[in-house]
Amino acid sequence: MKPLPYGDPAHLAAHQFLVEEAALLDAGDYPGWLDLLSEDIRYVMPVRVTTARGAGFDTLADMGHFDEDLYALRKRVQRLATDHAWTEDPPSRTRHFVTNVRTFRHRTGELRAESSLLLFRSRGDTREADLLSAGRTDLLRETGDGLKLARREIIVDESVLRTQNLAVFL
Amino acid sequence: MIKQVVSQVRQGMIPAHIYADPEIFALERDRLFARSWVFLAHESEIPDPGDYVVRRVLADSFIVVRDETGVIRVMFNMCLHRGMQVCRAELGNASHFRCPYHAWTYRNDGRLAGLPFHEEAYGGEDGFARRGQALLPAPSMETHNGLIFISGDPDAPPLRDYLGDFAFYLDFYTRQSPAGIELRGPQRWRIKANWKIGAENFAGDSYHTPHTHASVVDIGLFREPKASKRKEGALYTAGPGAGTTYKLPPGGDFAGQLRYVGYPDAMITAMAATWSDRQRALVADSGFMVSAATLFPNLSFVHNWPQIDADGTVVPFVSLRQWQPVSERETEVLSWFAVDAAAPEEFKRKSYKAYLMCFGISGMFEQDDVENWVSITDMAAGSMARRLNLNSRMGLTSDGKPIKPPLAAFAGPGLAYQGFGEFNQRHWLGMWSDHVQDGAR
Repeated sequence: MKPLPYGDPAHLAAHQFLVEEAALLDAGDYPGWLDLLSEDIRYVMPVRVTTARGAGFDTLADMGHFDEDLYALRKRVQRLATDHAWTEDPPSRTRHFVTNVRTFRHRTGELRAESSLLLFRSRGDTREADLLSAGRTDLLRETGDGLKLARREIIVDESVLRTQNLAVFL
Repeated sequence: MIKQVVSQVRQGMIPAHIYADPEIFALERDRLFARSWVFLAHESEIPDPGDYVVRRVLADSFIVVRDETGVIRVMFNMCLHRGMQVCRAELGNASHFRCPYHAWTYRNDGRLAGLPFHEEAYGGEDGFARRGQALLPAPSMETHNGLIFISGDPDAPPLRDYLGDFAFYLDFYTRQSPAGIELRGPQRWRIKANWKIGAENFAGDSYHTPHTHASVVDIGLFREPKASKRKEGALYTAGPGAGTTYKLPPGGDFAGQLRYVGYPDAMITAMAATWSDRQRALVADSGFMVSAATLFPNLSFVHNWPQIDADGTVVPFVSLRQWQPVSERETEVLSWFAVDAAAPEEFKRKSYKAYLMCFGISGMFEQDDVENWVSITDMAAGSMARRLNLNSRMGLTSDGKPIKPPLAAFAGPGLAYQGFGEFNQRHWLGMWSDHVQDGAR
């Protein structure tokens, strides 16, 4: 299937959604981020593995770094808002670079948006910064309240992650 | 240097630099990891002939494979000819491993099957006898409850002897039915922390829970304020292992206590039939449920039971995790989700969700643990850390006596104390001391 032309209003809306979402995440506005998610959101990040070219798979089918519904994501956001989420206090400085956005009409009437993500994460004053590179495939659903994220699959480009935790969203 | 360090450690006063010291790390490599039983994988990760995973013990890469006859083999991942890794994937299925360099080819039981131009290059069998050539096997390899361990010591004690009294506790995590566990994962990530810190923490640090993990209590992830309940739990040491428990509500019978933890009746029936009288008594009579534990040196376990949905459904999970040393300042964490292979599919799904919310790289418990461990390692690397001995004497009076007697009514083997204490970490550090102080054992 061919992507929508880059001038297509649906593509522009999807692209704007992803950039605005990244702005919320980098500003630490997690309640604002939750508002972008549909009630039936599935947010998954399978474990990436190194396999032979002929193996036919390079993610684990039954193990992820994330496999979240709205309850689980809400708990994570609530946790970050407590006074005791030490790993993000002081908070990381993050920058979500979203690029290579391609949008497709999905059979369900939703938009499928593929994007590349580079997450820069700096913690403390002297630690080396972390980089996480990933591809994302999202389903965006038109609602009376604008586009909502109904599904996100994050395919991270490392099999062994080099960040101390995923107390951040991708 | 090491004599002084060990003498301090044995008094519960830990020279802080051991958490970031390259000389100590070299001793750990040569005297501890070179001969201790170390976990590599679980049989359920390689169910079919040809299935393999590649795992490390420090710098050594091993292929853990089920050969064509179903036998599990652990082989050093280095070609006999020029030393190339013969397998560069981390998992898969293969009948043979072919070295990319000169195409020496090994069967999945390790035997050399062929090499190119044998006649022209070597003059055939006379110049190089293929017979008997095989990838180097791990010097010792044994399994227990499907857990595959190796030792660099060809004269290692039998694994079951090594596990000793800890085998009793191992069953709660890895043998809830005759089917045993299936292991999923691992999630792998690298943290800038010394490997000992996680191992000690899981062995017995119930004292950190109320504060480090205050946030998960704040958000109501648990049915009750887990943190304050921590001091009612028992800490036990048993053989090469040590662990923490939670106190169960008073008055429950065996099935009632396991229902409270969130197990479905089908699993409880299997546990009742699989565990010994004494194992059942730990739950039913003593009223304790296992939580975190460490098997020396670097395999840890965790069992916990959060609320996984807005209705307050409580579901337990088990995780195995390994603190794989990379250097004195870096550790690779391997974290697996474990579940009884015979459990109902619905339970497996819910238990997996419980695991992901709590542990692993995104787990809401684990996130805050690692923040602490990275910071400790960073501080331990400096000069001032050489002037500081960390006090690890919790639970002892100044003359070295326990501040309260061991639990008399504790059905499990070993020694158990109720409440906070650093008995378990000292137990772990005692074994660590035995290894690093003595090159010859």
